[in-house]
Amino acid sequence: MNKRTKKLNQINNALDKKLNKSNDIVLTDIMCYLRVANISEYHQEVVRHDLLEMVLSAQERNEDIQTVIGEDYKIFCDDVITSLPSKTLQENIFELFDIFFHSTSILGAITLAMASETYALIKNTITNSPKNFQLSISIFQVGAYFATIIGAYILVQVVFGNALEHKAEAKHTTLKTFVKGASFMALLLFLAWIGKKTLFTINIVVLLLIVISSYLIHKLLSNAY
Amino acid sequence: MIPSQMLKGTLEGCILKVISHKETYGYEISQALQTYGFSNISEGTIYPILLRLEKSGLIIAQHRTSPLGPKRKYFSISQTGQLELETFLSNWQELKTAVDTLFLDRGDPNE
Repeated sequence: MNKRTKKLNQINNALDKKLNKSNDIVLTDIMCYLRVANISEYHQEVVRHDLLEMVLSAQERNEDIQTVIGEDYKIFCDDVITSLPSKTLQENIFELFDIFFHSTSILGAITLAMASETYALIKNTITNSPKNFQLSISIFQVGAYFATIIGAYILVQVVFGNALEHKAEAKHTTLKTFVKGASFMALLLFLAWIGKKTLFTINIVVLLLIVISSYLIHKLLSNAY
Repeated sequence: MIPSQMLKGTLEGCILKVISHKETYGYEISQALQTYGFSNISEGTIYPILLRLEKSGLIIAQHRTSPLGPKRKYFSISQTGQLELETFLSNWQELKTAVDTLFLDRGDPNE
């Protein structure tokens, strides 16, 4: 999130607190739907700001959100989305790289924190015993890495994309996609589990540097678009 | 009530006309349109149109503090918007004349 988007986001978060419960629920659903639309994060915040102004003014007039937006929130949102410029190719590429580096930093940190080699290294450093910096990465871990990123991405797209569907319909679509996604992830994890053997070894310090630099690249990228 | 399909092509021009009268904001525009006979025009109906007009540079938006509640987005017409408004009016008059002529014609079968 770049500076001007972050600033607008902070203003919007403050305005958000003034919403009554029912308006807050509807606006949250609307924003979830807009979050996965092909519009930039800045434009998402601009629309959020405009909607907050509209709804808060309506609140002052004792009117409900339906009076302001109408009955069909999805039609309204689709109309808003088509009225805004789509994400540029550069923004899309930046976003993909950002997801990749952010996930790498998180999953890498989890791998480091969960590895018995890390604890052995810490223990040996304290007791002044010979140190082994090598950490084994199995096919399973590599498979889990890709499955987690793809699975999480699909899940967010489906859940947020269905935020404005009628409840029963949305539940059905989400459940169907969840089953498909879960089967896909299970298959990937199973294939990876078969190959439980070590795919490669990596120096713990190198992995730590990868985690830190991935996080820094994510920070740089997210400030750029 | 005017059907939404019929309104679609004309609402942009009508909103531009309301904005050309004075600097105004979404809710006021929807209220003004209702007083002119456009029933059931909510702020949500005109919001995407305002976004499009702003994107095309036909109107200029500015945030101002309002006496009640949060800041408001005020719109004023740009020079390009004035030209577009003139084009809309001449197109509308042409369409109106054509439709009026058609409906005034009794459709004499001998002609």
